[in-house]
Amino acid sequence: MMSGGAGPAPYLTIIATGRNDDFGGDFNGRFFRALHFNHQQLVAAGITHEFVFVEWRPIDKRPLLASLLADEFADVSSLSLRSFVVDPAYHEALSLNPRLQFQEFIAKNVGIRRARGAFVLTTNTDIYFSRGVIARLKETALEPGVLYRAARHDLMSALDVSDIGWDVLEDERNCEIVNAIRPPLFTNASGDFLLIDHQTSQQIRGFNEVYRVAKIHIDGNFCMKAYVSDIPIVDIGAPIYHVGRGTLHAMRGMYNARPGDAPWGDIRWKSDVVYDNGDGWGLGFAPEREIDRGTTFLAFDWEAVGPMVDLRRVVSAGLQQEKAL
Amino acid sequence: MKRPPRILGLVPASGYDALEEQRAKAESRAGKLAQQLEEYRANSRVWKTKAEDALGELRKAQEATAAAQKQFRQIEKQRDEHSRNAQKLKEELDKVRRLQQERAAELADLKQRLAESERDLVIAREQLMAIEVKLDILEGAANVLDGRTRELLTRRSGLGTESGTAV
Repeated sequence: MMSGGAGPAPYLTIIATGRNDDFGGDFNGRFFRALHFNHQQLVAAGITHEFVFVEWRPIDKRPLLASLLADEFADVSSLSLRSFVVDPAYHEALSLNPRLQFQEFIAKNVGIRRARGAFVLTTNTDIYFSRGVIARLKETALEPGVLYRAARHDLMSALDVSDIGWDVLEDERNCEIVNAIRPPLFTNASGDFLLIDHQTSQQIRGFNEVYRVAKIHIDGNFCMKAYVSDIPIVDIGAPIYHVGRGTLHAMRGMYNARPGDAPWGDIRWKSDVVYDNGDGWGLGFAPEREIDRGTTFLAFDWEAVGPMVDLRRVVSAGLQQEKAL
Repeated sequence: MKRPPRILGLVPASGYDALEEQRAKAESRAGKLAQQLEEYRANSRVWKTKAEDALGELRKAQEATAAAQKQFRQIEKQRDEHSRNAQKLKEELDKVRRLQQERAAELADLKQRLAESERDLVIAREQLMAIEVKLDILEGAANVLDGRTRELLTRRSGLGTESGTAV
């Protein structure tokens, strides 16, 4: 049974994924700080919202990050903070590349499929919204059938983030790099901000689940899917912030000579192809049971796992456009 | 007796005077006539010169006419030649125009074929990409299945040891 939650649907669902593995260093701390900040700004602006956290491949004998999150945000209603813990067996069953330790985009699909908000934002755990993004959301004037993107501003990693606020985020001296976005696809760190209305997100069926050999560029591949599906992609007109340049930038150089060995998969894969996820996308057929207030466990069932290889679901962009016509 | 002087060849003085007067008149008249004759002769020379000049002019005019006629014939010949050349040029122009139209049609056809080729190329490239991605998937699946098979066989071998089967 799918956990849809009760009560009126919020304007915005924010989806993030992770696990208690200290990925990138102080993962939980970075996650909680950004979540506190964004939640406070959204509440202050009166934007109804829910957070959907998907814990993928939880680590045995470590506390669930979903539980730590629930403790950290004990004052937040279970309607506004929902977590889904995915049986780690799904990771093994779906794997097409043993080097990938975390199938982040299938995890995000779990959240997209179960989102309740009128608009669905997939982002990452340590992303801070800008004042401009909050203002756009407050207007409640986002258009359905449009994919909104925001440029990520990377702040210097040496910043003291213990008490982060607008003054730190907006200070240009703290900005190390702007990940510019350009039409038509507006890619470049797109996994940090993909905002689309609920109905369209369900029509697109989330990120590519057919190609599971790499996770890098799966976000850009989503933009391509939207583009060939005639969904306009636009810049929301305000940035998002990230402290540091991210683990990919930090580790990329190590795999320049052997890109196939990278833990994110081979960066050279042809990410301009288009996919067509099956009916069970986002582990839609996984049995669900509530394990805690606001936390749902997705138990393993082979019925919820699609075929290991389903080549019909990889299509060229041109054929997809012809199909759409 | 009146007639004897005549017989003697003598004339009366009055007759003589009359004759003298007649002679003087005749001489005067002869002089005038001679002068007139001289004038006529002079006039005749002038006219002759004029006639000769006119004749010369006439010859020149005839020569000029002949030259003009010759030139006219040459011009006519040139005109005919130009006309023929113009006709040739017109024919060449028509030919060039026909060729130009043919080339324009060929160019349009080539442009269309180029656009079709470009579209085909894009589609081929996309299909090639799709094939590469499919091969990636197949390779990934083969590797994963290989790993699982090895693990399974290793586990079975382990079970075999427990049951006493030689390893």
